[in-house]
Amino acid sequence: MRSIWLISRTVLLEAIRRKEIYAITLVSLLLLTVIFSIDFFQIEGLMKFYREVALKIMSMATALTVIVLSSRQLPREFENKTIYPLMAKPLRRTSFLSGKLLGVILAALFCFSLFMFVYIIGTLYVGGGIPWSHFLQYIYLQLLQMMILTTLGFLLSLVMNLDAAITLGIIFYITANILITSFTYLYDFVGIFGKTMLTVLTFIIPQLALFDFSGKTVHSEVWPPLDLNTLAILTAYAFVFSGFYYLLCIVIFRRRAI
Amino acid sequence: MNQSETVIEVRNLVVEYGRGANTNQAVRNISFQIKKGESVGFIGANGAGKTSTIKVIMGFLFPAKGEALVFGDKAGSVQSRKRIGYLPEVALYYPFMKARELLELYGGLHGLNSRALKEKIPPLLDQLGLKDKGEVLLKNFSKGMQQRLGIAQAIIADPEALVFDELSSGLDPLGRYELRHVLLDLKQKGRTIFFSSHELTEVESLCDRVIMIHEGRIVTESPVADLMKPLNLFEIIFSLDSASMPPVVTKFNPTPEGDGYRVLIDDIAAYSEALSALASAGAVIRSASSKSRTLEEYFIELVGEKGEKQAV
Repeated sequence: MRSIWLISRTVLLEAIRRKEIYAITLVSLLLLTVIFSIDFFQIEGLMKFYREVALKIMSMATALTVIVLSSRQLPREFENKTIYPLMAKPLRRTSFLSGKLLGVILAALFCFSLFMFVYIIGTLYVGGGIPWSHFLQYIYLQLLQMMILTTLGFLLSLVMNLDAAITLGIIFYITANILITSFTYLYDFVGIFGKTMLTVLTFIIPQLALFDFSGKTVHSEVWPPLDLNTLAILTAYAFVFSGFYYLLCIVIFRRRAI
Repeated sequence: MNQSETVIEVRNLVVEYGRGANTNQAVRNISFQIKKGESVGFIGANGAGKTSTIKVIMGFLFPAKGEALVFGDKAGSVQSRKRIGYLPEVALYYPFMKARELLELYGGLHGLNSRALKEKIPPLLDQLGLKDKGEVLLKNFSKGMQQRLGIAQAIIADPEALVFDELSSGLDPLGRYELRHVLLDLKQKGRTIFFSSHELTEVESLCDRVIMIHEGRIVTESPVADLMKPLNLFEIIFSLDSASMPPVVTKFNPTPEGDGYRVLIDDIAAYSEALSALASAGAVIRSASSKSRTLEEYFIELVGEKGEKQAV
């Protein structure tokens, strides 16, 4: 466990000391500031819309950070040859991967915490309330999404180069968020083959839209928080996908020459 | 562990890169052993198969055939890596970390606790000429400083065996001198040292034994003392009219040297005879000395011979 922590601490340290994570955070914070500054209309509906957009921006910025961070972990180790002294230590390859996974999630949490802090301050500043049960569920579901994206980023970076892994990761994220939703509408208009394909794709591509609780958090007076059963199913769903990707990563990485 | 215990054993090792028609054999069926307490140099030109062999020993590469064992365990196993320290040929260390943090990471992975790390890191940095550099970010380290830090990470857990790929790569003369002292100290403590190097003078001064590899095959494996024995040559530099050159000297093909000649003789009796003949012929002997070929010269000759034989 200590070796996993040591590796993850290195990832976290890199994320904190490198400037790019702050660049993403700064751009997102600027957007959020603009959104929260538009409060002079005092129109509740508009305010809610802006808050929902703010939460979606934070989710997207965190997802992009996760994709970039996770995709580059392994290629950078190979490129800079830092993997050699590391793997010369009594460190299992699975521990190395687990450490990297934990580190990326911690780094993403660091980034996400900055967003959350600004969101809470901004919401309270414009006089809105935070529906805490909804808000905590939003954070939890984002964490599950981070886990899926991190393992996916690792997997992609093990089978292709860094640029391709990042590009495909982003495409995957957008696809999983948008296309899957559109499958529901398409389903009624396609033939048997199309229906089969859509069903297969629905099972292959994780439905990241399930983890987007921003709308329900903003409209909390209409939507109750998720019950524990649903949360458990969503957790299991996220673990199945991230577990499958992680398993593939282990199989590939254990056989890989360094 | 007794003195004769095998630390590293390589058996019929074959390393291949690529697949099918593009397969390139980097290491071709080599076998050797390194015993406890030995200091062994692994010598070869670029692309000879040194790094590939070392990578198999460390478990980074998987052999196409054969195997490598470290302390009796399969190379690359966690058990084997617990007892070994490794310095890679080229490595950049995390530029966003401080030297102290890096050593804490590597030492921690070796199982050292915080207290042990706090005790070990300052003297280790001092020993490697990095005193007061513990809190400096590695992005500000020069190549030589990074190499010194690399050595520090390899020895931080005081491993029983050390495997260094290109020992003094990137080090300036002072760094090499300091490193030699570190290694001699480790050698005196009974540590097993196996390293590849281009610096053959370094190999001469540090090794008990050398293994020479060329195009994936071992060409010589011998104690350094044995290799150096047949290398003795005698050199005479003299001035003499070419017409009066004694036959005992001409048979050794004198070559022009300034306004005189130079002759190399590989037999002490012939050397003595040549000196007498030159003196009798009225030659002015400018210098007469015993000259040893360096390991480097021996290696170049050996590799040249092999290359010629293969070309034929």
